[in-house]
Amino acid sequence: MKQLSSFTLEEKLQILSDAAKYDVACTSSGVDRRGKSGSLGNSCAAGICHSFAADGRCISLLKVLLSNECAYDCKYCLNRRSNDKPRTAFTPEELCSLTIEFYKRNYIEGLFLSSGVIKNPTYTMELMYQTLFLLRNKYKFRGYIHAKAVPGASPDIIELTGYLADRMSVNIELPTREGLHSLAPGKSHSAILKPMTQIQHKIADYRLSIGKSAFMERHFGNQYLAGNIFSQHNLHDLNEKNPPYLSSPETEKEFLHGISPAKAYFAETTPVSSSTPSAPLRSNGAPRPFVPAGQSTQMIIGATAENDFELLKVTQAMYQNFDLKRVFFSAYIPLNEDSALPAPDTPPPLLREHRLYQADWLLRYYGFHAEELLSPDRPNFNLLLDPKCDWALRHLELFPIEINRACYQDLLKVPGIGNKSAYRIIQARKSQKLDFPDLKRIGVVLKRAQYFITCSGKMLYRTPIEEDFITRQLTGEDRKTAWELEHPQTYRQLSLFDDHFLTASPTIEDTRKSLSGQL
Amino acid sequence: MVVFTCKDDFESMMTCIYDAWSARLGHSNIRLQTEPIEMPELFCQYCYVEADSEKTQKVIRSIQKKISMEAYKFIYTAAMSCDTDKLDKIYRFVVTGFSAGSRVTSMHGIPAVSSVFELNRRITNEAHHFKEFIRFSRLETQVLYSVIEPQNNVLTLIAPYFSDRMPSENWMVLDRNRNLAAVHPADQNYFLTSLSQKELSFIEGTKDCQDPYVSLWKTFFFFFSVEARTNYRCQRNFLPLKFRKNMTEFQP
Repeated sequence: MKQLSSFTLEEKLQILSDAAKYDVACTSSGVDRRGKSGSLGNSCAAGICHSFAADGRCISLLKVLLSNECAYDCKYCLNRRSNDKPRTAFTPEELCSLTIEFYKRNYIEGLFLSSGVIKNPTYTMELMYQTLFLLRNKYKFRGYIHAKAVPGASPDIIELTGYLADRMSVNIELPTREGLHSLAPGKSHSAILKPMTQIQHKIADYRLSIGKSAFMERHFGNQYLAGNIFSQHNLHDLNEKNPPYLSSPETEKEFLHGISPAKAYFAETTPVSSSTPSAPLRSNGAPRPFVPAGQSTQMIIGATAENDFELLKVTQAMYQNFDLKRVFFSAYIPLNEDSALPAPDTPPPLLREHRLYQADWLLRYYGFHAEELLSPDRPNFNLLLDPKCDWALRHLELFPIEINRACYQDLLKVPGIGNKSAYRIIQARKSQKLDFPDLKRIGVVLKRAQYFITCSGKMLYRTPIEEDFITRQLTGEDRKTAWELEHPQTYRQLSLFDDHFLTASPTIEDTRKSLSGQL
Repeated sequence: MVVFTCKDDFESMMTCIYDAWSARLGHSNIRLQTEPIEMPELFCQYCYVEADSEKTQKVIRSIQKKISMEAYKFIYTAAMSCDTDKLDKIYRFVVTGFSAGSRVTSMHGIPAVSSVFELNRRITNEAHHFKEFIRFSRLETQVLYSVIEPQNNVLTLIAPYFSDRMPSENWMVLDRNRNLAAVHPADQNYFLTSLSQKELSFIEGTKDCQDPYVSLWKTFFFFFSVEARTNYRCQRNFLPLKFRKNMTEFQP
């Protein structure tokens, strides 16, 4: 193994970005911050991607590890202790100058700082905090910072880091306690959930102190969706003594009980309201923002045996109980060989990951619940159809929906209509009746929507509202078979030469002759 | 048919709208077009309109007052388009707007509105792409310098964003298709200026080829992708080839 100091900056960047790339989150969204004269950088709530790597994933932040040394030995991880890899670490100064110079050239939107566990979690977090402190104060950086909270670190250092970062995340890695126990022996669910609860708590503190509601903002469309997962009775109040999600049926309890915000933790700490005055103030007297872009988490798909229903239930529970901004899914990529892991040649379950993200959007933007999309009898997503089409096909009794009268919530249930087009439909129909060409201009995907909607009582074509028919249409199966039946391969390109009955292949002499022009 | 023509800049376009309106020939009997006119038509009378700041002010004021500020932003953005028919589309939008008032920006069903909306969407999307994909490189004078080749005239849409992002830096963005540059001296407002070929080649000559962060960025970019997930089609979807010409990480 090489000495730490013998690596050049480029080699370090290579090693530490290579080690960090399996972390999926690379978003720069959630906070709007104007630039300031004398400082560098701003932030845009929609998030800005700066490049796309060869795998099609966006590069928005400088995603690196502070160090790839790790005290843990998680089976799935590239940086586990038992792997023989070159180990190195950035100094805070190196990382700051990289961030600043990349930022000035418009390569990145900010820094994503994670780290292997050096010595112990608190020490690691202290190193991360030093870097962020330098970046914010010495280099006057106002861009985006995403920092990982290392489970097991002292609450004080997590809190300090939270005042410098825009987003923090703690990876729950695996959705069930058993999975975590078998693959990440050094980690425990309660240790992971503790910093998450603490951050949630502090975010609520900050939000209340500036006169906002304790819960994170969600897409504006959600206010028109009755019973969405974020509506008040579905969110669980921080101070509630007995959170209602624990009274769920036994089966759910089994994999959700790791996800209850450790009740014991609440008992130890002071309630939200009384800790508010202790929030540090800025020089102008305003409270300092604490993780204004919210927190996120990620879990690995396909390393253990959970089904999609369980994963989606956990996701929903994370949104409701921890008020997370995002939950990311990471298709398992075999990096290590181990008897507890899938075989090294297993392809990553990319389509499954994609379906889960689609469902995640349905939860956050379309007012769906995990229980509507899947059930214990149908625990996995249809690989041929997206979750929304799949749902619509199982609820054909609700369709067709009349475009000129339906409410926002109903419009959103139609496959092919999203937030923007539903909103535009509502706006546009105030001044005139809408017809199919208008919908097309508005941005509705008629290819899918046509089977589920009417305009002034008429459908686009005479299509039956029949599950089998629409399924065939949507999966494109019909068209393909019809084409093959209508166009059998019986024709052949016309040719001047009579090579239909050619028996012997041309000899070497023939080739020579044809080259010299004799043949 | 009378066709009012003008130069391809915002002031001329607003004056053209003013003159076309006050000619009182009937909206269906006139057309507006920006120059150059590739193929003049028979049975058309062409009438060239010169820019006039007073008329421009009047048009802008009445759009803001009688329609809305949002509609004015729509029109300004649409005017930056490369579409040859944009001025006529804007004119139809203004006509509809004066009768419908501030509601007009949400009347997506009307073709006059949806065509301007479409222009607007195209340009804003392109401007957003350039916010993402612009790459600055250092000149020897430490100025950050970037070249873009956009279809639409997006400089005035992206320069305010970069002024906010880097208020205390010297930077400039050059639109090579129009030979137009947005120049931002540190801690001052940015301005637009056109550059001659000589100035251009001078700037290109002073590029700092020794910048260590270029190769660091290429290293990072290369090691960021996960081999097991390689998907060039997805990459091309998000980052079309036309943008890659001027991006550091795709330079050999």
